[in-house]
Amino acid sequence: MEREALRRLCLLNQLSLTDTQKDDVISFFAERDADTATLDAIDTEHVERMVHVMPILTVVREDGACQPFSREDLQAGAPETDEGYWCVPRVLE
Amino acid sequence: MKYETVIGLEVHVELATESKIFCSCSAHSFGAEPNSHVCPACCGMPGMLPVVNRRVVDFGMKAGMMLNCDINRVTTFDKKSYYYPDLPGAYQTTQWFAPVAVNGRVDIETSAGKKSVRIKQIHMEEDAGKLVHDISEGTTHVDFNRTSVPLIEIVSQPDLSSAEEVEAYLVRLRTLLRYAKVAECEMAHGTMRCDVNLSVRPAGSDVLGVRTEMKNMNSIEAIKRAIEFETARHIDALENGTEVLVQETRRWDDAKGKSYAMRNKETAGDYRYFPDPNVMPVVIDDAWYEAIQNSVPEFPEVKREKYIALGLTEYDAERISESIMLCECFEEASEACGNPKEVVNWITSDVMRILNAKKMTYEMLNLDNQALGKLISLTGDGKISRANSKKILSAMFDDRSIDPEAYAEANDMLIGEQNDDMILDVVKKVIEADPKSVNDFKNGKEKALMALFGKCMKELKGNCDPQQLKVILLECING
Amino acid sequence: MSIYMMKQETAEAKAVVVDDMFLTTDMPTTAGSKMLEGYNSLFEAEVLTRLKNAGYAVAGKTKVGEFGVDLLGETCYFGAEYEGESLQYPAALAVKNGDGKAAVVLDVNGAPRRGAAQSGLVALKPTYGRVSRYGTIPVACSGETVSVIANNGTDCREVFCAMAGHDSKDGTSLPESMTEQGKAAVNKRNKVAVLSSMLKGVNEEVQAKIAAAAEQLSKNGVEVVTIDAQTVAYAGAAWNILMSAELCNNVSRYDGVKYGYRTKNYTNIDELYTNSRTEAFGDFLKSAILFGSETLSTENYSKVYDKAMRVRRVIRDDMAAMLADCDALLMPAVSTLSYDRTLVERDKYLPYKENFFTAPASITGFPVVVAGGVQLVGNAFSEELLLDLAELV
Repeated sequence: MEREALRRLCLLNQLSLTDTQKDDVISFFAERDADTATLDAIDTEHVERMVHVMPILTVVREDGACQPFSREDLQAGAPETDEGYWCVPRVLE
Repeated sequence: MKYETVIGLEVHVELATESKIFCSCSAHSFGAEPNSHVCPACCGMPGMLPVVNRRVVDFGMKAGMMLNCDINRVTTFDKKSYYYPDLPGAYQTTQWFAPVAVNGRVDIETSAGKKSVRIKQIHMEEDAGKLVHDISEGTTHVDFNRTSVPLIEIVSQPDLSSAEEVEAYLVRLRTLLRYAKVAECEMAHGTMRCDVNLSVRPAGSDVLGVRTEMKNMNSIEAIKRAIEFETARHIDALENGTEVLVQETRRWDDAKGKSYAMRNKETAGDYRYFPDPNVMPVVIDDAWYEAIQNSVPEFPEVKREKYIALGLTEYDAERISESIMLCECFEEASEACGNPKEVVNWITSDVMRILNAKKMTYEMLNLDNQALGKLISLTGDGKISRANSKKILSAMFDDRSIDPEAYAEANDMLIGEQNDDMILDVVKKVIEADPKSVNDFKNGKEKALMALFGKCMKELKGNCDPQQLKVILLECING
Repeated sequence: MSIYMMKQETAEAKAVVVDDMFLTTDMPTTAGSKMLEGYNSLFEAEVLTRLKNAGYAVAGKTKVGEFGVDLLGETCYFGAEYEGESLQYPAALAVKNGDGKAAVVLDVNGAPRRGAAQSGLVALKPTYGRVSRYGTIPVACSGETVSVIANNGTDCREVFCAMAGHDSKDGTSLPESMTEQGKAAVNKRNKVAVLSSMLKGVNEEVQAKIAAAAEQLSKNGVEVVTIDAQTVAYAGAAWNILMSAELCNNVSRYDGVKYGYRTKNYTNIDELYTNSRTEAFGDFLKSAILFGSETLSTENYSKVYDKAMRVRRVIRDDMAAMLADCDALLMPAVSTLSYDRTLVERDKYLPYKENFFTAPASITGFPVVVAGGVQLVGNAFSEELLLDLAELV
């Protein structure tokens, strides 16, 4: 992991790091990359990926609407609301 | 040099379900109070888990079948991550690895002839919320009503080459999806939206030019204008070097008639897709597949031909087959009354007139079609006068449960077969009271008969077969 | 320093404590993060509803490390718990204090098992899907499991039974029919295998625990064999990838817009996002987010993330094959019986290393019981069998 790549990665994840933190993260990535590389020892060429560990299939619900939560309650902990909307600084399009 | 335009479309269509794709909030967000259709799940709070709305899969499959796609019998959901205020979880659940439908085809016809547009895939996903920028200065207001409303995205191959073809394609998509009753497809409501990927190259070249993606067109007309503008811009750049084309996303400003490059983030496009561990693969077994297949309607052309064979004019057959609701109305009413020609007359006159007066689209037609057939029969048999049948039809629009015969009876509109004597009494009374008109008619004034006829009809409150009345009236005058 | 975020008096005879990963409507839920300080949920976790219906009262919420991914809670924004220089797991201390019959915890990344192993308690992480995750803070959804820590197997079993069962609100919840079939297919072999490949890097104390457990089992008539199962030793590396990526995605929702912490320092949306997250998240979490994000990048997806998902299948298949022939795989839960403060502070990435021991059960979804300071990992649906074995060690 290079500084430049890390800068971009932080941008992507909406985080900013101090220089010390950056050094830490870079050394952490080196450690992680080495760990990840060990997986090459396992031949997975003809192995299907496993997303779900239990073989449950097709969990669906019937279509039907209900509204058990009120807007007032949902916005009770909101940092900023106005006229029933959540608010953020103006987003340019 | 001659150039050709290469266009591929990404069309987002909101599915007409009752509830959202992963939670049970109402999916009818258009025009609702802001954030009145939200729950912890669709406003990004932790702890609720997604459970797929079965009807979304039904509709995704059905849309795929309408567009001649192969259905993936195991279809899965994936997460796509990016930050934007309209995306409360900072991820969208979509289908990246195994979309519900792939490899389809939509046939279109334009002045350039017939063409097949290949469909790359149709995937199911959740919609984003809505941002409102004009409530107060410096602030964007966020509404999550639309968040998680189910969408399908229909991705075409770059097979289109003009604004006209794009229009034909979009109209065809809309007709087919409405036929399947899976979506409203109303661009003005945002239930159909379209991104245009466009590039230009020298005619005959097999190398694609620089591609731009255009967003924010909210009518087919706007899309056509945008395509024409963007094509001209690309050609100008290639021909005159006015600018260097770059692959970018552009926003169409319909008022100004121009496209503008959007402020592209450095991280744009880095979506980090991965399979959603909380949503199990959806396996479409034979029973499910067949049930949906059996619900796929005949295509408009098939219906049109069938109607012509029933004796409808080409013009009428075309008009009726434009909308599945008119088709159903026509077919069910014809079945009930056995007189398709009469039904089509009713639909193209009275039904369409009422729809028009109520500012309803064909898709909003909600008549009991069998009851309509019955009304047509009763009128044809002379049991209800034409004037009264119009009143009854109007009432049937407002109340689907109305039985025309019962309604006519309750409102003294039913013409009984036994009332020849009653008509005779009325006719005698009218003739006696107006000897002048009788004489006028006998002296050759045709209009005088109409006056007498009108008076009789009024006395009878319209509950009379006009033919029958005329016969009795003439008999009485002529002694 | 309290081990609790909130403690409450309860008149009920049957009490449990829960950790701060469970949404509650009468107490805030923070997941150990400044991001969610004072966050009030509008609904409660399904397991709490079930426990209450079974007559349990919740006596308090114990602290967790930020989003439950650290060793034993050392990254908790509201303070870590040390006894002397030894790091302590709050939920385990609550059980030892007798504050409840059991602690109900979310096993995201092995912390509850490490805590139980070091405290000499019994912990049960059931088969993935047997207990609803509805109303838990989502972190590593493909593997995290609602678990129980108690003084003994009997109490674990009792609380587990009160919580378990299908929940239609959780799409990964196992249907009852599958559970019944799975339980019926469990055959007692009276045999346990020690995985020699999993003894790497453990200290003498832990080795002694393994030896003692093996001896106890033998003494009670259980055949103990040793297997060198190489692939299981890769579970940690693979799980760290999957867990970090899922974590990255799951905590992206905390952005200062809808609820929770919002920075005061912003002029535009990106500053709002970045400063809120930067100010509210701790260093360990940040590094996990970045690592997870990187495993999903276009360049890395197939060689890192997809690879880890395939390794996951290999490990699960291998472990299932071993478990066809024996009741449990015996392995350590930790490398040491106590994490010293200086070690914790010096080696910031110790949790990733310690995952070597806990990841096999996390990545496969297999049930595991911690007893006598060791782990017994069983086949799917073998909770009963594992709890029986726990009585012997």
